[in-house]
Formats: sequence, C-alpha cells, structure tokens
Amino acid sequence: MAARIPAEERLTNLVVALMATEIGLTKQQILDNVSGYRQRADAGTRSDALEKMFERDKEELRSLGVPIETLGDAADPNDLREARYRIPQAEYDLPADIEFTPAELAVLRLAGSVWSAESASGDAQSGVRKIRALGIDGDEPIIGFAPRITARDAAFAPLQDAIEKSRVVAFEYLKPGEAVPRRRSIRPLALVDYEARWHVFGVDVDIDEDRMFLLSRIVGDVKVTTTTFDPALRDGAGERALAGLERVSAENAALLEVTPGTEAALRLGRRATPAAQGITVPFVDLHILADELASYGPEVRVVEPAALRDAVIARLQAVVDAHAEREEAR
Amino acid sequence: MSAQPKPLLAAERVRLYLTLVPYLLEHGQVSLAEASAEFGVTPQEMRGMVEKLTVIGLPGESGYWQQPQEMFDINWDLLDLEDVIEITNDVALRRVPRFTAREAAALLAGLQMVAAVPAVSDSGLVAGLISKLSRGAADAPADVVVAPSAVDEVREVVARGLQDGVAISFTYQAPDAAPTTRTVDPVQILITNAQWYLQGWCHLRQAMRTFHLDRVSEPKLTDIPITHGGDQVPEPFAGLDDEREVTVRVSERFAPLLSGFLPATTLEAVDGSVTAHVHLADPRGIKRLAARFGGAMEVLEPGVARSSTREWAASGLALYHRPDHED
Repeated sequence: MAARIPAEERLTNLVVALMATEIGLTKQQILDNVSGYRQRADAGTRSDALEKMFERDKEELRSLGVPIETLGDAADPNDLREARYRIPQAEYDLPADIEFTPAELAVLRLAGSVWSAESASGDAQSGVRKIRALGIDGDEPIIGFAPRITARDAAFAPLQDAIEKSRVVAFEYLKPGEAVPRRRSIRPLALVDYEARWHVFGVDVDIDEDRMFLLSRIVGDVKVTTTTFDPALRDGAGERALAGLERVSAENAALLEVTPGTEAALRLGRRATPAAQGITVPFVDLHILADELASYGPEVRVVEPAALRDAVIARLQAVVDAHAEREEAR
Repeated sequence: MSAQPKPLLAAERVRLYLTLVPYLLEHGQVSLAEASAEFGVTPQEMRGMVEKLTVIGLPGESGYWQQPQEMFDINWDLLDLEDVIEITNDVALRRVPRFTAREAAALLAGLQMVAAVPAVSDSGLVAGLISKLSRGAADAPADVVVAPSAVDEVREVVARGLQDGVAISFTYQAPDAAPTTRTVDPVQILITNAQWYLQGWCHLRQAMRTFHLDRVSEPKLTDIPITHGGDQVPEPFAGLDDEREVTVRVSERFAPLLSGFLPATTLEAVDGSVTAHVHLADPRGIKRLAARFGGAMEVLEPGVARSSTREWAASGLALYHRPDHED
C-alpha cells in the first residue's frame, strides 16, 4: 500500500489543480492525476470510494469559502457524468478594489478580539490574518478597551449553520410558567444579542409569523432539517429583529417604587423615566425583568403590571421556601 | 498568547495554507517565529507545514511525476540554517481568498460591539468596514446582530480619562455599603454582558479594583497623571484575599447561568444538581444572586448567608402585604 497522503495535502492539491484550469477538470481526471487521489487509485482503492471522497472534499472546501464551479454538459445540464470542475479565480480572490487602511486594521483587530468562544474567535482571527496577508500593518493597537461577547448557548452554532444554509430548524422551547417544552419549527433568519442574551429571530413555520426566541430557553438539541427556504427572507433580517425588540420594549413598561440610594435605585434608574408615583422602566421580557427585580429584594416594589408583580412575588416566595429554617437551627 | 496552540485539523490546515502562501509571497522572507505567531501555531507546526508545502503542486499527467517548476518550493538552506521562510517557486494560491461567511460574521458582530468604544466611534470607520466585509465574503454571512449600547456621561468621562492618561474621581455606591469617593488611575474598560466596568488603580484602597459603571456617579477628570497605567489588570470578578466562601446549590440546568455572574467558582455536579463555592467579601451578599434565581438556587453555608437570603426575600415579600391584611 502506498504511503497515506494527509487530507490537508490532498485538499490543497485539489484547490491548486482546480484553480490552474480554465476549462475545468472531469472527476476522472482529478482522481487519476491529483496527488492524494492518484496514489489511492494506484493502490487499488475502488473508484466509488474515491468518488465519495471527492464529494466530501468539495463540501469541505465550500465550507472554507472556496467556490467550486460545476460545468455540466451544455446539451443536458443535468447530466453530470462529463461534468467539469473548476475554481473561478474572480470568485475566489478577495476583490482587488477592497482595500484596508492601517487604521481600519486596528479597528478590526479590536473587533476580532471580542469573542470568547473558541470557534468564533478563531474565525475572527483568520479573517484579520487575510487582511494582514495583503501586506497591511495596522496602526498602534487600540488599547484600554476589552469588549467581550459570550455565546455559550449550545444552540448558537447549529442555528448559525442553519441560517447560512437557509434551512428550517426544529427545537423544544420551554416558556417560563409552562410545565413542558413545546416543539417549534422556524425558518431562522438572524441571531441577536440583546441585553446580553442571545435570541434567534425567525419565521415560525406553523403560524407563518415572525417570532423571537431566547436561546437559553431552548431545551436539548437544535435539529437542522433538510427543508430549505428562500434565502431572500434573510435580507435585512437583523435590522427587522432589532426594530421588533425595540418596539416591544417601547410598548411594555413597568411602574416601580424604589428606595433611594439603593442598588435597585441606581441600576434601574439608569434606564427609567420618572413617573408620578415612582419610576417607569421599559422591558422586553417580563420573566427576565422579574428575575432582576427579585434580586433587589425589599429595594423595589412593583406597582404594575399585575403579571409582573405576581411573577416577582412568586420568585420571592420560592426563595423563602427554599431557605426554610433548618431543624438544627441554633 | 499564553495558552499553547492546539494541533490543527485538516480543514484548518487547508485554510491556513490558503492565507499563508499569499502572506509569504507578500512579505518575502519571514522568520519562523514571526509566521507562527501570526498564524497562532507552534514554530514546529509552522516548519512542518512549510516543508509540506513542497509536495503541493499542479496535477501530474497519468504515470508521470510533476516537473519541479509545477511544485511549490522553498529556500531549504534558509529554513534549515536560519529559521527563515521563503517561497522560491509558487504555482497557485497567490491571491488572498475572500472571507468565509463565518469569518465575516464574527468580525461584523465584533464591529457592532466595539462601535461604542470612543476610539472606534470617533474614527468613523465602522460603516465602511461593514460594507467591505460584507462585499468581501464568499457567501452571505448569517446576520449576527449585537444591539448597540448607549454611551452616557459616566462612560464618556471614564473613556476620556483613559485616553488622556489622567485619574478620574467619582462617587461609588457599592451594594449594601455607604457611598465612597474614589480617585482611580484608569487601566482598562471591560465591556461584558452589556455592562461596562472600569478596572484601575484605586488611590483609596491602594490596589487594583474593578468598578461597575452603573454604580458610578459624578465622574470628574482630574489633572493627576496616572502612575499605574501599565499594571496588570485583575481578573474581572476575581475574589480578594480576605473573602469568605459561600456554598450554594443549583440544579444542573441552571449551572451555566452561574458563570455570567461569578468569578472562578468550583463546581461539583452530583445527581443533577451542582454545588458551587463562591467567594464574597461579605457572605451575606449572596442574597442578591440567590433571589435572582427565584428559588432555583439554595444557599447552603454559612448559616448567616442562608438566613440573610431568607430575610431578604421575606422583607421584599412584605412590601406586597396590604396594611389591612397584616397579621
């Protein structure tokens, strides 16, 4: 058996081969000639196994952003037996008219440093490297600021994947106050970090309406289905999602009484407007605000809405119940 | 980089080659140390990858090996004797590839995050960068949106002190404590979980401290030049030496939420619930976090932390008892 050629060597050779051809290479030419396939074919690997390997390699390269063009039979575009493959240089290269200044590189380096999640951080660094490879050295780094984005929800990665591929996803979603999670199917359009929580914005398939879901309330795995949707739905989705959240926030207001000089007065005061009796605080999610208000204990009292007041009372009661005096109390 | 880089997967090596080749062609001769730092790999790994580059080339014709000029080649003497990389023959990959959808999305979200940093917003570069990244991506990146955060007077003054290298004085209202007046040499502004923190040398405490900017009021720039600007910033929520340990229990599914509020805690998972040891200057301070969990967190030890949590919630509840219902 011939020495095994590592996958990265075969894949890189494939990129080189597909870039060097104008008219494209047939699958057979690739399997016979490109180093990494050639040796396997010579060693007697069956051709259907090699073809499968080629299909996987194409997918792998596409996920790395390498555009692989398939040129079918002009007479019968669906007949792929004689299809030719190539990488069009114009679609591969970073367009020559996109240039970056040293000041822009400094900003991007700061932008690339914000991710704490390993995969997103790696992607950001890899993007910055491409700009550095253009021969640009940045200005002095912007120091003194350490912005951080955390994306520790397990649902984040599969949802991003589904958005890129315009695929419908399904997941179990547990609304606060409901005993069991409900299965939801959505066309995911955008991921939104709002008030330090990740949301997915999309179209709920069952009711065909825009909806926002908190990633932290997704229970179990996100299933990326094979059903696709029109990628045009994604256009401007991020802006629509943000506008939606701001609309909700403008429509929901809590009337609160706070004790001056306390943590509650300080923290809530930052986003409140004065009211005749107390302060008014806008909110997006009643349960998240209730969690925060419970943390202030006796420093805040909810006047209205009643649902928020009840939610805070229920939390405080649960805290009291969970900390009953022990029998062995002194 | 403090952490030792991990070995790369095949796909990551391919991605690295696609950028490494144009980088080397652009820079001519590059030391092994510089290239490995740039690409976040060990020098040994970089050497191995550069050596392997010489087996990459154009496809051969059936039965024939490729000609030397059809393969990448490097200056072997330079690499072996001086640890310097130079490509002497290249066959493709000369141009920098487009950004992948993921790379563009990660940078676009990062840009929205740093847009609030004064040095960035003053530059006026964000909008142009967003358009360049979007246009330079191979596939449309998923919209990953970071809601903008407002910059108020406190944030502005603190950022200016940092930029001008002068101390800032302000009133600081820590929870459950009397307000104090602080003068601080600003070292870093940490922005995390949509909150802004100032980290710097506190003249009052004569030590590095982290201040939540929501608790800062009446900020003023002083004319005192900073003397601790180069100091190491503390771990953001690290405990102080004299702090006491509080033991809490949460159900396993709430455990990830703990990391959003607490510094390094020791977690022990048993039968679906997690016990964590939290360090606080005053163990009674746990009451606020416990109340936020609305009964899903139980404070176990010490007794004083447990009872103050109960009393905290009970006195909150008492606000809702109408006078005529009082017993």
